[in-house]
Amino acid sequence: MSLSAAFNIINSAFVANAGQSAVISSNISNAGTKGYAREIANLATIASGGVEVASVGREANAALLEQVNTSTSQAACQQALSDGLTTLAQSVSDSSSATSTTGAEANGNSPSAMLANLQSALETYDASPTSSSAAQGVVTAADGLAQSLNTGATAVQNVREKADSDMASAVDTVNSLLTQFTSVNATIVSGTASGADISSAEDTRDSILTQLSQEVGISTVANPDGSTSIYTDSGVTLFQGGAARTVSFTPTATLTDGATGNAVMVDGVPITGSSSPMAIQSGALAGLAKLRDVVAPQYGAQLDQLADGLISAFSESDQTGGTAPTLPGLFTFPGASDVPPTSATTGLASEIEVNAKVDPSQGGDATLLRDGGINNDASTGADAYTYNTTGAASYTGRIAQLISATTSTQSFDDTTAKLGTSSANLGDYADASVSWLQSQNQAASNQLDYQNSVVSQATTALSNATGVNLDTEMTNMLSIENSYTTTAKLLTTVNAMFSSLLNAV
Amino acid sequence: MAASMVSTYSLGSAMLSSMARAQNQLTQLTAESSSGQYADLGLQLGDQSGYELSLRNQTNLLQSLTTANNLTVTNLKTAQAALDAIRTTAESTVKTLTSTTAGSSGAATTLQSTGTDALQSLISATNTTSNGQYVFAGDNSGVAPMADYFSSTTSAAKNAIDTAFVNTFGYAPTSSRASEISASDMQSFITGTLDPLFSGSNWTDDWSSASSTDVTTQIAPGESATTSTNANQAGFQQLAEGYAMLAEFGGSSLSTAAQQTLITSASSLINQGISSLTTTEATLGAAQTQVTDASTSMSNQLTILQTQVGNLDNVDTSAVAVQLNSLSTQLETAYQLTAQLQKLSLAQYLPVA
Repeated sequence: MSLSAAFNIINSAFVANAGQSAVISSNISNAGTKGYAREIANLATIASGGVEVASVGREANAALLEQVNTSTSQAACQQALSDGLTTLAQSVSDSSSATSTTGAEANGNSPSAMLANLQSALETYDASPTSSSAAQGVVTAADGLAQSLNTGATAVQNVREKADSDMASAVDTVNSLLTQFTSVNATIVSGTASGADISSAEDTRDSILTQLSQEVGISTVANPDGSTSIYTDSGVTLFQGGAARTVSFTPTATLTDGATGNAVMVDGVPITGSSSPMAIQSGALAGLAKLRDVVAPQYGAQLDQLADGLISAFSESDQTGGTAPTLPGLFTFPGASDVPPTSATTGLASEIEVNAKVDPSQGGDATLLRDGGINNDASTGADAYTYNTTGAASYTGRIAQLISATTSTQSFDDTTAKLGTSSANLGDYADASVSWLQSQNQAASNQLDYQNSVVSQATTALSNATGVNLDTEMTNMLSIENSYTTTAKLLTTVNAMFSSLLNAV
Repeated sequence: MAASMVSTYSLGSAMLSSMARAQNQLTQLTAESSSGQYADLGLQLGDQSGYELSLRNQTNLLQSLTTANNLTVTNLKTAQAALDAIRTTAESTVKTLTSTTAGSSGAATTLQSTGTDALQSLISATNTTSNGQYVFAGDNSGVAPMADYFSSTTSAAKNAIDTAFVNTFGYAPTSSRASEISASDMQSFITGTLDPLFSGSNWTDDWSSASSTDVTTQIAPGESATTSTNANQAGFQQLAEGYAMLAEFGGSSLSTAAQQTLITSASSLINQGISSLTTTEATLGAAQTQVTDASTSMSNQLTILQTQVGNLDNVDTSAVAVQLNSLSTQLETAYQLTAQLQKLSLAQYLPVA
């Protein structure tokens, strides 16, 4: 050993000090960066007895990251569902804006409340059958009910179309993230092989994975060469061997009642929808697909059933004992030629309207509600559908019949509506439909709250495990400062020793 | 080491998210404390929403039925008042008849004018309307139930009576030969020829446009009641006949015996009419009781329904107030902690070099 060896060691200490300081600076400046993993300068003794920064490590925690990603996917799925259900629930608007406990306005615009209004109007008409304003009241209430169903059907269509376009932008995001991932992955692979500092590339990789899990549920596998393979939570490959698979989706601009949207495909395999062999379980895409293909159509079918029930309850039959067909009365739809069976109701909720023949604002005669004969053919003078054959002004037989039709049990087709009710009266069916919608809304909202708190906990845990604590960094900085001071002192001392030696010569 | 470490990022964001949550709850609780109801009922009630809605709808229905019942009661009361008026006229007519002596001077004039006045008042009372409906028209309430007997063009009813007289006796009632009619001829004319003119299809053709079908009204969910009567009831026929015979033949120059027969027959008919109308009035009274009973029972149901709706919709305001209080305390603590934590940095304590 010689004094010049001491100089070399001191020099290596200065270099190591600088390296450590750089790592600490990087940590401190990224203290507020979400997803930044703390870097550690690994020191090693070199052959001469000095020190060097052998490598820069990264405080990663794959298990916690996986948990963050999984819960993010779940939360995104529930978020998409909950947003859609909230929109649907707003079309019902229930009593959330209620300011009084009485009156029609307090009951919102749900078909159920509007049906009750119609029943009230019929009771009023029943009590004063000669009153044209009472007849007009029935027509107005019927119009409100038809519009409520139209609004509901429009909301269903809007929610489905919005889900469809959201799916398209989610797929775009997925593809763009996979492209970014391809280049980051390549950097990591080559960096691992050459031993370069890849920690910032790894930060980017983790951040891309978290963003990706927002759109689609994923699972990842780390390969020995530093690359990562990505699969959907259902096992379909998204990224493997350095190449991203193409995720494709064809959006549908208009999704009318009964129309089905396209599935999201990965390499030609559908990953959403009932036809998919490996359907994704979480992520915004899963939530949107469920909303578009299951939840919203189900509600739409309930509205259709309700519309059909109304058309049937208010239909007119042959009163002369003849064979004239039963035809729609107060409620009808464009091009109606019969009362549709419960199995063929697609689109009825969006088409149902008050018959122009009874609507005074369209030149109709509201008293036809009392007398029947909406379907009489004026050109032939046939009057098979007239109920009030004597023309009595206070005839209430037909009105009483209509009231009882709205409260008597009807059959409903539960194939798509899935309300668990195939036989009920109109009011109960409408109530059950509102209950179903609000319970879905409540469940999605509760799930969302829960998943959000899981995300927040997982993020906190990950941040605590891998993030930067300023105080720790400062303490490290102090010790580096001390080490620097000591090294400097050492240099002065060795220098003094050299001087003394040279003076003595 | 790692387990006990807290990153600076999560230290800051933990406080942030708890403040955001508290503020969110604060707006919700403020809305609830001012409205007394849950901020978002649909979200709060979930699958109970339909039940809550059905309670509200039922409330709505009962309220409109109650309003409609008030209208029905008005109609019934109007009908009863008109029947009262008819009965009063009938009673005073009977009184006049009793005090009139057959054959006395002026008897003919009295009989004719009493009959005419009474018949006019019967027709006008029978054609009483309530809310634009003729109350004695049965369900044919758009048409006046009793035709105007004294119209300028001879009414069908008057024509039928005059023709019957001429056909029986061979001359008009105003003829001076009317004095030849014996009491028994008069009696057989009344029972044999006149009576059938006031019943069956003669009545509905000449006198009454009313429908014999009464109005049926729903007075409570699933409960309906007959809420009108009609001018085809026997009472109206008997009164009309009694009054009409006085108006038509009272002024004729009848013999004392025939005039006495006329007075006796008319009195008897009017008395029968009074008793028939009393029965009709009792039926209407019963209907009115049925309607008001239905309204009372619905009002009781309304109270129960509104309580149930309240149970579902309303928040416990005192609990909300307490929650609000503790929430604002929590928020204040969070603010203070944030300020404290901001000071808790090693940087604050390191000497500036």
